[in-house]
Amino acid sequence: MTHDDNHIEDIDCTEAIGHLYAYLDDEIDDMESLAKLENHMKHCKSCFTRSEVERALSGRIQKAAKSHAPASLQNRLRDLIQKF
Amino acid sequence: MARECTISDHRHAVLARHLETISFIMKKDNTKEFFSRSIEETMDSIYGLALRLTRNPADAEDLVAESVARAWSAIESLDDKQRFRPWLFRILHNCFISDYRKKSVRPNETSYDESPDKNGEDEIVALMINQSDDFMHWWANPEKEFINQLLGENILKAIENLPEAFRTTVMLVNVEGLSYDEAAEVLCVPPGTIHSRMKRGRTLLQKELWDQAKEEGLILDNQLQR
Repeated sequence: MTHDDNHIEDIDCTEAIGHLYAYLDDEIDDMESLAKLENHMKHCKSCFTRSEVERALSGRIQKAAKSHAPASLQNRLRDLIQKF
Repeated sequence: MARECTISDHRHAVLARHLETISFIMKKDNTKEFFSRSIEETMDSIYGLALRLTRNPADAEDLVAESVARAWSAIESLDDKQRFRPWLFRILHNCFISDYRKKSVRPNETSYDESPDKNGEDEIVALMINQSDDFMHWWANPEKEFINQLLGENILKAIENLPEAFRTTVMLVNVEGLSYDEAAEVLCVPPGTIHSRMKRGRTLLQKELWDQAKEEGLILDNQLQR
């Protein structure tokens, strides 16, 4: 634990997990909450591991759900826009 | 005292009208060029969202084409060109609700937010929070175990099985990278709703993947008892 970590109030696992998805989505604006969560994960193997799993799963979901517009649609849209 | 209109005045008026026409054409050309370029850039994304909403490639293509036509008609309402993507997503989502949802083979599940399946959530929360460290290490060994064995097909099936509100939110945030505020704007809900839908949508997604993994034998009973 660094000297700075001593000044950060610890949170429990339930609170950490409650903020985890917002953390992974980069949606925590409150710097104090962010510091508490990151501090907790430095010391809690379970929450850190969970965070890594969620991050990996999120990446797999993003990759799997990406689609490519078929050529028929691409041509259809170009023709449509041409007529505007 | 009124001054007689001279030939010079008339020429000025005609010239002003020509300039207005040229300006209008140039503006329209610029707008059309911007629109065309933006559609090219977002084509894959809007098709992806349409496909997850309609669950049918032919309907997805029709939905995208209809949305693009509506977007062009409403181009003047786009205040900030930097926000073209969420603006177009919103048009597509509205178009889906008004014209395509009724075609859906499955009943819509929009009331899911108000009557969530607490049992399902409790189950996955219990799995994800209360497990022992040993179990977590097994679960969390993505290089060798669970996550790498999840095929794209499993994930797509799990997404398609999500209720519509969660499916759309997960697509917008997780797949398309919109912020909670942008997703809220697209779906006309408060940002807090996006936050809760992301939590619950992911939980449901994990539960679905978990069930699939058990069905396919990726998770064995003796591993669950560790």
